[in-house]
Amino acid sequence: MKTLKINCNNQSFILHPFGVAFWEDKEMLLIADVHLGKVTHFRKHGSAVPQASIYHNFEQLSVITDYFNPKTICFLGDLFHSYVNNEWILFKDWVKKFNREIVLISGNHDVIATSMYEEINVIVKKEWLINGFLLTHYPESRNDLFNFSGHIHPGIRLQGLGKQSLKVSCFLRKKHQMIFPAFGNFTGKFIIKPDPTDQVYVNTNEEVIEIELNSARMNLKE
Amino acid sequence: MIKRKDLENIAHHWFEQQDWKPFPFQRQTWTAFLQGKNGLLNAPTGSGKTYALWIPIVLEYLKRNPDYATKKHKGLIAIWVTPLRALSVEIKQATERFVEDLNIPLTVGIRSGDTSQKERAAQKRAMPNLLITTPESLQLLLASKGYDKVFNKLVSVVVDEWHELVGNKRGVQMTLALSRLKTISPKLRIWGISATIGNLDEAREILLGIDKKVIDNSVLIRAKINKKIDVLSILPKTIDRFPWRGHLGLHLLDDIIPILKKSKTTLIFTNTRSQCEIWFQNILDRYPEFAGNIAMHHGSISKETRLWVESSIRDENLKVVVCTSSLDLGVDFAPVETIIQIGGPKGVSRFIQRAGRSGHQPGQTSVIHFLPTHAIELIEASALRKAVKTNVVEDRVPHLNSFDVLVQYLVTLAVSDGFFPDEIFPEVKSTFCFQSITREQFQWILNFITLGGQSLQAYDEYKRVEIEADGRFKVNSRKVAMRHRLQIGTIVSDAVLLVKFLKGGYIGSIEESFVSKLKPGDIFTFAGKQLELFSIRNMQVLVKKSKQKTSKIPSWMGGRMSFSSEMSDLLREELYLANMEESKKSKELEILEPIFTRQKRESIIPNNNQFLIETFKTREGFHAVFYPFEGRFVHEAMGSLIAYRASLLQPITFTIAFNDYGFELLSDQPIDMQAILDNNLFTNDHLRSDLEKSINASEMAKRKFRDIAVISGLVFTGFPSKLVKSKHLQSSAQLLFGVFEDYEPDNLLYQQAYRETFEHQLQEGRLQLAIERINNQTVIWKNCEKPTPFSFPIITDRLRAKLSSEKLADRIKRMTIQLEKL
Repeated sequence: MKTLKINCNNQSFILHPFGVAFWEDKEMLLIADVHLGKVTHFRKHGSAVPQASIYHNFEQLSVITDYFNPKTICFLGDLFHSYVNNEWILFKDWVKKFNREIVLISGNHDVIATSMYEEINVIVKKEWLINGFLLTHYPESRNDLFNFSGHIHPGIRLQGLGKQSLKVSCFLRKKHQMIFPAFGNFTGKFIIKPDPTDQVYVNTNEEVIEIELNSARMNLKE
Repeated sequence: MIKRKDLENIAHHWFEQQDWKPFPFQRQTWTAFLQGKNGLLNAPTGSGKTYALWIPIVLEYLKRNPDYATKKHKGLIAIWVTPLRALSVEIKQATERFVEDLNIPLTVGIRSGDTSQKERAAQKRAMPNLLITTPESLQLLLASKGYDKVFNKLVSVVVDEWHELVGNKRGVQMTLALSRLKTISPKLRIWGISATIGNLDEAREILLGIDKKVIDNSVLIRAKINKKIDVLSILPKTIDRFPWRGHLGLHLLDDIIPILKKSKTTLIFTNTRSQCEIWFQNILDRYPEFAGNIAMHHGSISKETRLWVESSIRDENLKVVVCTSSLDLGVDFAPVETIIQIGGPKGVSRFIQRAGRSGHQPGQTSVIHFLPTHAIELIEASALRKAVKTNVVEDRVPHLNSFDVLVQYLVTLAVSDGFFPDEIFPEVKSTFCFQSITREQFQWILNFITLGGQSLQAYDEYKRVEIEADGRFKVNSRKVAMRHRLQIGTIVSDAVLLVKFLKGGYIGSIEESFVSKLKPGDIFTFAGKQLELFSIRNMQVLVKKSKQKTSKIPSWMGGRMSFSSEMSDLLREELYLANMEESKKSKELEILEPIFTRQKRESIIPNNNQFLIETFKTREGFHAVFYPFEGRFVHEAMGSLIAYRASLLQPITFTIAFNDYGFELLSDQPIDMQAILDNNLFTNDHLRSDLEKSINASEMAKRKFRDIAVISGLVFTGFPSKLVKSKHLQSSAQLLFGVFEDYEPDNLLYQQAYRETFEHQLQEGRLQLAIERINNQTVIWKNCEKPTPFSFPIITDRLRAKLSSEKLADRIKRMTIQLEKL
């Protein structure tokens, strides 16, 4: 696993191939768009998505918390895909085991009652203003705050010689903003067209790679 | 009891009154039907096939109900299934004409997606005696409660245009429905009507199922209407400015004008709907005098417009109709004198069928003009002429064990009255397409629809079909039932949106994939109109008229068909003639001479014992082009096979393009052709396993999985005209494919994607023969300076497969982002 360290507003963050970022000073893990319960939601409505896949998100969560050992996890919205179903039980168990601070910035998919989260000590916020950073679900721009958000599930289309092209998920960084890729394994991506002043960090299974936006077309190797 | 002869005399008498003489095939069909036989009637469109089967159905009714004149009998006696609902009006008129003339109180009704809610309700109270319907609407009837009582007096089911169904999943759906109807109404007579295809005998078995008693009691009747077809090529005056590739053919537009002017009515067939729109627009732009005499007909245009065009053709009010395969079928257009085919039809039977749309009067010759869209297609033209002469037609390969269709069918039965597996399994197994299904596989399907493909597990909330105390499989949730009913029509295609004017007024429907590329304010051409996109709301595209000239034209997928092996043989032989002396060449080849000269300057024209490979470098990368001349599908398979084998030699990424002549491997790195030749990559050894791996690597199966996921209800697409709150249930089949790959690779539906790729896309058998042939040829490898005329149509094709043996990160590092369009 190759991570990538970046700087935003003089704070350093480690971007991880899973599509999450670790805020070193705060020891906080930032994760967007997990969409827990989506598989079960589908199954409940007669679409037989493999049931075994529901454990995947929880396994990934455990791997990533073991790796960074954060004090806090902040979910940037869309933690659950829809109404409560049995995956809530798995989530409750996971929260208990993790036993540290969990904050959810609620997103458009988060329709589960705040009281249910509070019962298991998950803090629900509309937004979180912390040390000059504004954590939200929808991308926002406000004053001089640096915004972290999700919602979009950004991905980009890369092109190469030989008529090659690829679509990969990514972090999209603008001047005062960074939009996170979706964490969930059963979520799609939305292909964005970055501006020349943006920065794009692609996350593959093994690596986070910064893509040069202004790179000239490469010449053929002989 | 009335004797058969007397019954048939009623028909003969009616024919005399119309001043007609029954064809032998009509008389044979009447007799066979009245003898209680099943069968397949091979007759072309516009030959009187409706009367071949409708008449004996009526006669049988007279026989069974001698009191018909005084007593009205209720209920369905026959179902007429047609794959295109546009044809149903035509059939209704023909069938009504006969019973009205004879004063027989039989009623005829239509049930299709176009049927109003009111009429459906009326039909529910009292079915017409003859129901004209589509395979999908028939399934929907099976999804309604008490369906057995609707069908239990059924005498016959006729499946029209069976050749259109036999090679696809709608055909599978049809035969499953028939297996049910046979049980409900054991004396059912099943008949199909088919145009000429290569495997007519098999088509009969597919229709009737594998029960020997049924097959033995069946006939294949061929209408021997030998029609003379003249194939004329529209040749460019010089080849100099004729494009090497392209698909529009507009440069020959001026040359068809004299043909249009001379003929009473001309149908211009194009291969895609976008091409249809473009041709229509261009004829009008350049020859405005045609305004009012020209129309367009394709599947996305509203039903009203299509019906208007059809009746205008009949009434001789139109001189020119630009159309797509939407006019391939049915409807008899007597005034049509001339057909023009633009671009390769990709199938001889389709070409013959199109030719047959003209010259309907007995004894008249059908004339079809072929307009090549690029230089190499001229070779196709002269091969086509030979194919028509020798009547080389393709087989339609049936879909075996399509578990997605079976899942849909079983849920359909569960939605209506429920079913008992022990009763249904033998029925399913009696169909041709599921004859090899095992009890285990069937059990898996049952488990799939009840438990979602799992054994009972913790946290699972799967809900679709329930097993009741008496063992009946039943859907009890109204929501599941509703969603399933909406899903039944989905065997056909992509999600479509309705196009409407802001002020109201429906124009047609358009694929979501096109609309999603548009922004409000964009201008696009649709149904011959310039439209500005206003907004997309509730599955509706709202537009207003625009005067702006430049616009985008929707591109529709589809129509990428492949040559049959016979046609490929003809094509290859034609090409070998290019090396021969003048006298053996057709007009088309003569015109191509400058191109052949150029090809020979840069490379060679292979003869029958040579296999040509060309390599060259361009700005785009390193190209290797191979020319087996075996048809698109074989090239797709061979392309991925060779790419896969080559990718084992070094980490490399290819994009693969293919057409009917050959295939290309393109890479950003040099391709070591010597290594490919030295390592004997064209071997038949390990063919199967290498192919399997190449399918994995090139994502071919992923594409096939889309339909499977939709048909089996894994993905819910919603329904174009109805608003369903399903946002949280949307997911792409691609995503799902990945989840199956990781968590349930033994899932039968997932595996089916691979099987279909093998059986229908790759055609392993043909590939094997092609490789054998290549192995007996001498490989000629030409390292060329620049792209050759032969390579041009292939290397400029943008629709490509991909295959890579490199690490994703390594590839990414060599790539760039495409910023806003330059």
